[in-house]
Amino acid sequence: MALINVSGLSFAYESTPVLQNVNLSVAPGEKLAILGGNGSGKSTLAQWIAGWLPRGSYAANAGEVTVEGQPWAELDAATRAGAVQFVGQVPMQQLSGFSFTVRDEIAFGPGNLALPEAKIRARVDAAVEICNLGHLLDRDPFSLSGGEQQRLSIAAALAMQPRALVLDEPTGNFDPESREALLAQLEKLPGALAIVWCDVTLGAPLSVAERVLLLDGGRIAYDGDVAGLLTHPRTAEIFGLPAVAQTALMLRERGLWPAEAPISMDVGRVASALRPMLESAR
Amino acid sequence: MAVARPQGADHALLYVPGRSFLHRLNPLTKLTLVLWCAVAAFALPPEGTIPLALLSILIGSFAGAGRVFARRLALTLLPLSVALFVVHGMLVDHAGARASLLGLDLSREGLAYMVRILGRIAALLSGSLLFVCTTHPSRLLKALDAHRFSPGAAYVIASPLLLLEPFTQRAKAIREAQMARGLDLEGSFMTRVKAFPALLMPLVTLALADIDHRAQVLDGRGFRAMPHRTVLDAPADSRQQRAVRWAVLVSIPVLIAGGVLWHL
Amino acid sequence: MTGLLTLDAVRFGYDPERPVLEDISFAVQHGEVVAVVGRNGAGKSTMLRLLNGLLRPDAGRLTIAGRDSADLKVSEIAAHIGTVFQAPEQQIFNATVRSEIGFGPAQQGLAPREQAARIDEAVARTGLEGVLDTHPLDLDAAMRRFVAVASVIACRPDLMLLDEAQRGLDATRRATLGGIIADWKASGRAIVLVCHDMDFVAAHADRVLGLAAGRLAVDAPVRDFFADAAATRAVSVEQPGIVALAQALGQPVALSASELVTGLAPRLKGGA
Repeated sequence: MALINVSGLSFAYESTPVLQNVNLSVAPGEKLAILGGNGSGKSTLAQWIAGWLPRGSYAANAGEVTVEGQPWAELDAATRAGAVQFVGQVPMQQLSGFSFTVRDEIAFGPGNLALPEAKIRARVDAAVEICNLGHLLDRDPFSLSGGEQQRLSIAAALAMQPRALVLDEPTGNFDPESREALLAQLEKLPGALAIVWCDVTLGAPLSVAERVLLLDGGRIAYDGDVAGLLTHPRTAEIFGLPAVAQTALMLRERGLWPAEAPISMDVGRVASALRPMLESAR
Repeated sequence: MAVARPQGADHALLYVPGRSFLHRLNPLTKLTLVLWCAVAAFALPPEGTIPLALLSILIGSFAGAGRVFARRLALTLLPLSVALFVVHGMLVDHAGARASLLGLDLSREGLAYMVRILGRIAALLSGSLLFVCTTHPSRLLKALDAHRFSPGAAYVIASPLLLLEPFTQRAKAIREAQMARGLDLEGSFMTRVKAFPALLMPLVTLALADIDHRAQVLDGRGFRAMPHRTVLDAPADSRQQRAVRWAVLVSIPVLIAGGVLWHL
Repeated sequence: MTGLLTLDAVRFGYDPERPVLEDISFAVQHGEVVAVVGRNGAGKSTMLRLLNGLLRPDAGRLTIAGRDSADLKVSEIAAHIGTVFQAPEQQIFNATVRSEIGFGPAQQGLAPREQAARIDEAVARTGLEGVLDTHPLDLDAAMRRFVAVASVIACRPDLMLLDEAQRGLDATRRATLGGIIADWKASGRAIVLVCHDMDFVAAHADRVLGLAAGRLAVDAPVRDFFADAAATRAVSVEQPGIVALAQALGQPVALSASELVTGLAPRLKGGA
């Protein structure tokens, strides 16, 4: 059974349609990227998947989101918290505001479930290890840098032991080093954890995702693998192809690209596709 | 056990880090003692309140908070003494005996009233200071949780202290952003008054947006999913402390009754 | 030579004993787009706040349009230097996009007709025509960024500071921002970008200032900067993919796909 299932979801803010007849399912352990331009509805969809909007003052105009076959609204608070965790764009806003130390912030969620202390400690230790927060345990969460706060929000989410983690533009605030560090942390996550990564750029999410969904004007325009996304007609318009992939496409138009090689945005792959042609030209 | 010493936002608090006996006392025990002090401040005559205040100050100094005590007490009591002295000692026409000090004609009853009020406030203030100087809010929060208080009630008590730091940070960022777009905050009083809405509006709007967002975050982390929470490193408690708390609570009605009888 | 903005041996520290920036000297000329790069914590944000007067040097001189910034209030510096901050919602307080953009020109005491002209121009450049009567905070984050950009355009400062303004923008919006940068430069004004995105730097900047541990480690034209692997390493930035690809194929530095294709085609089998 699908972990998360979105069927026929349509949604509008006041009179502006944001999502139109969206259908998708996320399998347990699946790594999915939802990509789209500004205003494409991806943040809204991310919040629906994480179960945020249905509990607020908003309702779907049509369709529903289920978790293991059950609609969000029918789950109790503890089950919801253990099913899907959401990490949003603004790091400071992810903090509970309930903790004076990093350790307590991570322990906050499991503490709310009234787990025994030993279990909470084990969960905190595991999350701290993955997110590399060991040296910050006694710091005030609000005194951390944006990147550190983002790592903390992910650790706090992991401590809930969710089956899916929804990330909304998680690397937006990062310099390249912090981005690489986050990607390395995501690799350490348990394989059974599904990841849904929503973003407006092609770079970082594609290094994690096995499957990509393109959201365009509130509709799903593409659902498939990364290579297919790069040659999709809307991709270049929405994201601007990275110059490396653009080079490959321009060369292919001129008949200067090896027929068997897939178009890629990876420097190594494009270079190795072209090298044999260079050498034989010499 | 070491008392947790969170780093970072403590400048906004009166808490003085330390490991004294008072620091290690369970926050709820201290809270009942503060309650006792508050009742005593009103129930006891100056012969009781002034020694009580002096005792609190002495304990506070031993706990390493002497400077905070001196500063806070001076800031509150000195202006108040002057005002009470002038108003009740000299201006208000109390009946009865007069006293003379340094050539001033003073009302004895006015002076007694002044001492009574000062004694009360000193006892109340030093008792509360003893609590806030030796109790980090996180310890109070943990003690409440550990004693199975409802999470919602604990949040209401602790959130103003917890959210002070992000609020201060944001206010500073807004001030800077508005100055950099030409808002004159270095000019005359009137220009600054006129600039005020440009500072207040984003602060209020963003605070409201934050509340909405934080409610979602708390919900996502299972807040109030259970009737009570588990906390790590809850402040130590003991049978003796529980006994002290009960004794203190039981003594409060006695104290009130005694106070009433005294005044009859 | 005096520039639009000149820094001469500037030093600054929040704690004067431990400077965050030290011995910083450079000038920004009219018609120049300068990118400030470096890892988190290298001093980029501090630099930005020194340029717009929110912070003042502990030592050295900062000159704006020929005047020592020590003699100018922040609000006076704002007439020369406009800042687009990372979080536009911290500067937005009017109830509509139109009044938000009009706030600066009104503060400057311009005639109503001139104010209206300024608003129209700023709106046309940022593509906000459809949302003039919307509350700025009802817009998505990308549109809010353009409200902040339009507010700066309407004030017509000599220098625009963009703090990670490209972040989170899709291709269409990046192109709009790129167009604004090009127009601004063409009109003889200057731009300083604080930017992590090296593709954006390669596409739009003329010159790179690289900060490392509070010092100016690099001051070079953008092409020279990316060609020099030691320089990019020194300031902890990654080379844009296109530069790395050009180097992997033994080509000279290219800053765009078409540049690389033009150089590469004659060397490829069947391309001559």
